[in-house]
Order: sequence, then C-alpha cells, then structure tokens
Amino acid sequence: MFELICNVLLWLGLLYAYFFNVLEAPIPDRTARNPYTLKPDVWPKAIIILLLICIAINIINIIRKNRNNPDFSLDALMSIRARLCIGIALVVGASFVLEPLGYMVTCVLVLFFYGLLLGQTHVFRLAIFSVLVTLLLYVVFSVLLSVNLPRGTIPELRNFSLYVEGIVASVKSAIM
Amino acid sequence: MTTWELFTNGFSVLMDPYTFMMVVFAIVVGTIFGALPGVSATMAVALGLPFTYSMQPIPAIVFLVAVYCSSITGGSITAILFKIPGVPSSAPTTFDGYPMAQRGEAGKALGIALGSSAIGGLVSALAMLTLSPQLTQAALSFSPSDLFAVTFMGLSILTCLDSKNILRTLISGLLGLLLACVGQDPMYAVQRLTFGSGELIAGLEMIPVLIGIFAVSEVLKQTKKRDKLTSDESNASVNTKMPSFREWWGIKWLLARCSVIGTIIGILPGAGATIASFLCYSTETKLSKHPEKFGTGIIDGVAASETANNAATGGAMVPLLSLGIPGGNAAAVMMSALVLKGVQLGPLLLVNQPQYLSATFASMVVTNILMVIVAIGIAKVFAQILAVPYSYLGPIIIMLAIIGSYATNMSIADVKIMAIAGVIGLVISACHFNSAALILGLVLGVICEGNFSRAYTISRANLVAMFSRPVAGTLMAVSIVLLLWPIVSGLFKRNKD
Amino acid sequence: MKRFMCAVLAVMLALCAVSAASAEFKFERKISIVCPWGVGGGADSTLRPMATLLKPILGQEVEVVNVTGGNGVTAIEYVYKQPADGYTFMLGTQSLFMQDIQGTTSMNFKEEFIPVARLVHAINVITASKKAMDKKGYKSFSEMREYVQKNPFEVSVGMLTSTGLDGASLKQALEGLDILDVSYPSGSEMNSALVGGHIDIMVTGTDEIEGLIAAGDVVPLLALCENRMKRYPDVECSVELGINSVLGPARGIFAKKGTPQEAIDALVAAIEQASKDPSWQSFLVQGCYDERPGFAGPAEYAAACETDYKLLSDYLKAEGVMKKDYYAK
Repeated sequence: MFELICNVLLWLGLLYAYFFNVLEAPIPDRTARNPYTLKPDVWPKAIIILLLICIAINIINIIRKNRNNPDFSLDALMSIRARLCIGIALVVGASFVLEPLGYMVTCVLVLFFYGLLLGQTHVFRLAIFSVLVTLLLYVVFSVLLSVNLPRGTIPELRNFSLYVEGIVASVKSAIM
Repeated sequence: MTTWELFTNGFSVLMDPYTFMMVVFAIVVGTIFGALPGVSATMAVALGLPFTYSMQPIPAIVFLVAVYCSSITGGSITAILFKIPGVPSSAPTTFDGYPMAQRGEAGKALGIALGSSAIGGLVSALAMLTLSPQLTQAALSFSPSDLFAVTFMGLSILTCLDSKNILRTLISGLLGLLLACVGQDPMYAVQRLTFGSGELIAGLEMIPVLIGIFAVSEVLKQTKKRDKLTSDESNASVNTKMPSFREWWGIKWLLARCSVIGTIIGILPGAGATIASFLCYSTETKLSKHPEKFGTGIIDGVAASETANNAATGGAMVPLLSLGIPGGNAAAVMMSALVLKGVQLGPLLLVNQPQYLSATFASMVVTNILMVIVAIGIAKVFAQILAVPYSYLGPIIIMLAIIGSYATNMSIADVKIMAIAGVIGLVISACHFNSAALILGLVLGVICEGNFSRAYTISRANLVAMFSRPVAGTLMAVSIVLLLWPIVSGLFKRNKD
Repeated sequence: MKRFMCAVLAVMLALCAVSAASAEFKFERKISIVCPWGVGGGADSTLRPMATLLKPILGQEVEVVNVTGGNGVTAIEYVYKQPADGYTFMLGTQSLFMQDIQGTTSMNFKEEFIPVARLVHAINVITASKKAMDKKGYKSFSEMREYVQKNPFEVSVGMLTSTGLDGASLKQALEGLDILDVSYPSGSEMNSALVGGHIDIMVTGTDEIEGLIAAGDVVPLLALCENRMKRYPDVECSVELGINSVLGPARGIFAKKGTPQEAIDALVAAIEQASKDPSWQSFLVQGCYDERPGFAGPAEYAAACETDYKLLSDYLKAEGVMKKDYYAK
C-alpha cells in the first residue's frame, strides 16, 4: 500500500511539475529566435513524459499483483517504527539547526541523542564520547583540512567558535 | 626523446631523496584525504598546493600527481567500510564493497580495491607515456554527439541492473536524470524545477545526494532494525583476509577492460574518474555471466569501479600535458600550480620539455605501487572503527555525512539536501526502486543533456546528421540494443511460459 | 517607546562607529575571501596568489574559500549570511551582476555589496579553430563576418553560458549576425572542442589558451578592446574596426554592505601594496592580465562596475530576461 501511495503521489507530482515548474524563468530572446537550439524545456519534459508512462505501468502492476492480497492495506504504513521516525527527525533536525547552533553544539547533540536512540544505556559514557568525537572531528576537518565548519549565528555560540579558532591559531603559530 | 629515455629520465627525477620523501608524504596525505568524506580528489590536490609553493615545477607536479592518484584510491576505504564514498568516483565501489564488508569480508574487498586501483593506475600511466599524442588526437576527435553517445551507453545499463525489476530500475534512472535537471540549465542558465526555492538554483550536488541515499539511509535502516538488540552488541569482527591469487586471476580480463575504458574516459573532455567508474561498473554488469550477483557483494564490482577510477587519473593527465587543457577538475588545479610557476602549457610542452611527461609517469608508477602498502596500513586503522559498537558508530557516520556534505561547498542547503536524500533513500528501498540507478542518472544527466544540446545545435537540429558519425552511430546502435534486449527477451520468455 | 528605542540604538551605533573610526583597523583573526568558482579556474587562480601576498601585509591568514554553484549565486548567498565584520570578503566579476539583474539572488547584490578593489581586468578575445578555418576558408575577422553573412547559422560559437559575460560580449561584437551559439560548462571542454574543430570560433579570456595559440591550433581573430594587444600585435582590435565591444572579465573584491570602512581601507591599502610586488607583476604577465590596468581602488572600481551594470542591464533587457531594473525611470 505504501508503495502504491508513493507511486501515485510521484505521478501526480510529476504531472504538476510538467505544467508549472519545467521553466521558471524566461528563455533569452536570442535563444528563442535561433531555430537550431534545443530549448531548455525539451529534455526535462521528455524525461517527465517517459516517467509518467513508466510509473503508470508500475501502478497498474502493483494493483494487479495485490488484487487478491489480504495484507494489502494501510497496516503496512502503521508498522513504520517510532524509532525510525525519531531517527529521521534527528537527521533532518540536525540539518536545520546546523546553521544557527553551529558545528560544535550540533555535533554534540547529534552524537548524544542518536547514540541514545541506538540503544546506548551508559549515558555518562555517551556524553563524554560525544564531546571527544566532536573535538576529534573538529581537529581533523577544521584544523588540519581547514574546512570552515559553521560557527553558528547565535551570538554567544559564534563567539565561542571564534574563541576556539583563536586558540587554534595561536597554537598553530606557536608550533610554526 | 625515445620512450626509453623518457622512462629513465622520469625515474631520475624521483631519485632525488627530497622529491622521493615528498612523494611518500603525498601518498600518505592523499590517501587520508581521499578516505575522508567531503574531501574530493580535487580538494585534496588543492590542499596540497601550499606545499608546492617552494618547489620547482617538476617536483611540484610530481607531488600533486601523487596526491591525486592516492586520494582517488583512498576514497574506496570509507566506501567499503561505511558506505560513504570518500570521493565521488568511489560511489560504485559501495555497491559491492559494502555488502562484502557486511559479510565480514572487508579485508578482501579492500585488498581488491587497492590492488585493482594500482593496476588501473599503472596501465593508464603506461598508456600516457607511450601513446599521449595518439590518445590526444583520438580524444579531440570526439564531437559532442560522440560524447553524448558514450554517456547514453552508460545509461543503457538501466534495463539490466536488476533483471527482475526492469521497470522500477528504469523509473529510478529516469528520476535521476530528472533530478540532474534541477537548477539553472547547463546552456542558458534558465531556472528549472526549483519550485521557487533559492537553495535549489545551484542544482543538486552529487555528493550530498550520494551520502544521503547511501550512508544516512543505511544508518536509518539500522536504527529501525535495532529495536530489540542489546546496546553493547559489537559488529562482526573485521576479517583482514586478503584476496587469493585465484580470485585475481579470475578477474584478469575485467581488469584489462576497465583499465582501457577508464583511461579513455579520463581523456575525454568533461568526463572524469566518476563517470569512468560508473561506466565500467555498468559495462561489467553487462558482460558478466552472472549479472544478478552485481550489487550483492562480489569482487568483480569492486574491481571494476576501482580499476576504472584510477585508470582515469592517467587519462586526465594526458590532455593537460599534451594540450594544456585539463582533463578534469583535479588536473585544472595542477594546471594552475604550473601556470603560477611560469610553465607555458600547451601543445609545445611535450615537444620542448618532455621531462614533464616522464616525471609525471614516474610519479604515477611509484605512487600506484607504494600506495597499496600505505593504504593497507590506513585501511587497517579505519577498520578498527568498525569494531566500535553501532550505538557509537551510527552517530559518527551521521556526523561524517553532515560534515562531508557541508564541506564540499560550505553550503547548509547541501546538508538539508543530504538529510532529505537520506529519507528518500528509505522510500526508494520501500518502493523497490534502485538507488544505484538513480545515482547513475544523476551523475550522467548533466553531461548527457549538455552534449545532446550542443550536438543538436552544431548539427543544426538534424538528428540524422548527429548520429551518422561513425563513433556516435555505432555507440548509439549498441546502446539501443543493450537497452531493449532485456525487455525483449523478458517478453519472449513470458510468451514461452 | 518603540521610537525611543530606535533613537537609543541609533545613538549607540553612531558611537560605535565613531569609536571604531578613531582607531586604525587591525585584523585579529583569519580573513576569508570567498571565490564563487572552483579551484583551478581563472578566478581562483587570480585570487590565490593575491591571498598569499596579502598574508604578510595584513599579518593574518588570508584564506580562499571556494563556494561554487549557480553561476556565483551560492557564493553571494553565503557571504550575505556572514556578519559584515570585515573578516569575510568575496571575489566578484560581472557574471554576478548578471545573476543579480536576472533576479536569481535573494537580495539586490548591487545595493547590498560594495566594490572594494579590482585585481585584474582581462581582455576577451574571439578565437578561431585552425581546423575549421581551413575548412571554411576565412582568415581574418572581417572574412569570417562576410562568411557568416553569406551562410547564416553555419558558424558555431562556443561560450560559457550565453546569458553570461561572454554572451554579452559576443552579442556586441557580432551584432546582427546569425550564428549558432553553443554553451560549454567549462573552459577546458570548450577549448578541446575548438582545437578538435567541433566549434568554429569562441569567446574567451586569453589566459588559458596562450599555449594553444603558440602552437597554432587556435588562431586569435579579434581582441575586444581599445588598443591592439602587446602579445598579438597582428590581431585586430574591436575599437579600430568600429565595433563597440570592450567588455572583458574584471575580477575584484567585494564586501557586504555594513563592513567597517576601516577594514575596507586596510584591505585596499594591502591590495595596492601587493599589486606592486614583483611576483604579482610577473603573475600578471603570465596570465595575460598585463594588457589593461589591473588594480583599481574603491572609487574607480565602483565607477567601472556602474558602467558595466548599465551595459549588462541593457543587454539582458534586450534578451527579455531582466527581472530587476535598476535603471527604471
């Protein structure tokens, strides 16, 4: 059932995109006038049409296959575990708080809560682990590879990141 | 200069102890960079740039080539162990490498990956030394329609990636092609399919989608499974058993084919290691006697992808040295390093200063051999991480995925795309779609559309003229047969039943 | 109450500005300069040597951050999100103006960013493929123009996105001619296509093709500038042929509006000093950037940007893709 719903939604979404979203800005005049250019909407539209056909066949296949299937109901949808939902929420949530909170805080939070979710029971050990791994990843990516990890936009957190960067810079210059 | 003179001349550069030490250093650093997600081969070479500021031009290129080759190899380590391709060109390595590691055959998978990388690299280095002028001419003769035909052939694999699920695989591939259209179009920068989101204007970067669909959705799946497991249950111990000689002998033709294809793809303008590894993976699936085993964890899959991406490194150097046109982004960085040193790149470089070619060759040979030893050491360190309980490892993989997708472009949007791709990865497997096919479409989509569009304009909207060129015509005919064969034979079988 | 708070804030801000102005700006941590294009490209290879030279002058690490994608839009959005504290700058060219005019940026780039200093000002050149020239039989720009007039839509021209600077520069140079425009995603792919004879001519900067020109695979036809180039004295220039096309990529540093003026001044002074460095001078020669004056201070660069903005607005308006009209009456 889940599969059927996904396919139907995808089909409808593609149909909508075909009419409203393939081109979202005007085509330059010169391109429009030139008879020998492939207009930028041709390729995606061709793909969408092929997709609409294939997905339609797929939907028919699913319905045909499951016509006599007693389990074919919404029950399958209900069986999605709460645990998985929390996992998804954590990952998606992390991608949204990364900008305001910055790397440090996000990393500690993700490591800690995802560890709990995966069934880690030693809370104290997990907390120490989270902080240590955060520092390790920071050293590898920010210090050694000079990747600018997000500092965060909340002033206190940003200042904290800058403070850490200051320490790193002075250590670096002391060594060199 | 004769080939032999070139050969000896190149190695005499590496006899200098300082240069040799720098090459060894480059191999260690390059392998580690390559293994870290988010640091692509191009970034690895760019990170190596500051070291070259004080060097002479020839040691500088020797150093950068060593970083480049070893980072492409390093990418396979994380691909096999954590399903996070360290560099994009190792994406197909995850298809078979990760299932092998899951079965406790990580050692064998890594052995195959490193060994075949070295073989691919050596073959392409030899090709570069002996055939540079011919290869360059061949590559230059590839018109946009020929390039389109090459990529189309890569797509023709869609119908046989999973013979029981042809329709769904086809849908996945088409979805990948459609996702590649998101953002500004490659020709006129007209926005398409962004649904009004400013964050999608730049299009979907491959790395975040890749990491999301592969690594993050894997952790999410494990999260779901871990309902009843105890917390401290450790992963299967990592078996460091290396592949046997017989296994190597069994894939000798595969190695040869992939080395050649990889080198050629590396030379073609616009294509590179990533496309090479995807194309070789597809080709080998086609040619295999047991295509259904691909993706379940067989050495052929790992070897195909890793031979090809390292073979492409030699290929990428050919146009750089013989024309002054970089064959890929990493080669572009090397070019900028040489230009900064006042080297006049162009067709005259090989004539006037052949030592650039010979030194590059020597560096590639030494790197590809030493790299195996260094990479095994590094892989062992990384493999230790696998022994960590999953409640620690899972979160680390999530964090690596976040950093990896952010680091490519300092873009929060990419992190969001990665997270969403992780969820989509779950939906894909719930709907029995094929994530490998989707990524294939995404990788080949942009180059496929771009070349089709260019060929269309150049041939003045004449499709017959477009495909009547010998290369394009042959490749297209072969692709169409390959594309339709599984469908036709499937229908045929059904009728028989 | 609200108004009172505003007044208090305004006073505080003014005080801050005064107190900051009294002391000369001292950079206290590393400075990032964002490059909207990838490592190894023309923009990046201009910025990196400059960053290296700036480091000892400013006494702080100057780091090049490549934020690519969306023809520069991703980088603009990235810098726009950073605080305007004088530690984040960006490299810009006219391509960013064109994205702005086409409305792909979320803010008005022209109003939210200030030109700080120009580093280089390159010349665009129309070059031809030797292979294609031999086949089609033209030898100079004028002959090529005649050929196109006789055979409309037969000559293909390579460029990097037709709504970019190359497109604008080409439109001016080949006004009224029916050509086939073919866009390429990267200079290297376009160069291979030109050498292979798959496209007939292309518009490009001279930096990446000097070697190909020296070998004779690529022939320069027309330099889009005021005077003939020193390196190619036999190549005609657009102004002498009466063609009004002198657009060439100018790469300069931009700062987000609100960046402390002292930080900008300090950076400008440092760039000016670095521009005189012999290693920068030799870089200019190697990169073919020595044909036009490179360095320009804030006032001069701002004036040049203004001229280009007007010109590109007109071009994009004529193409029917203008969204933001900065010159609407």
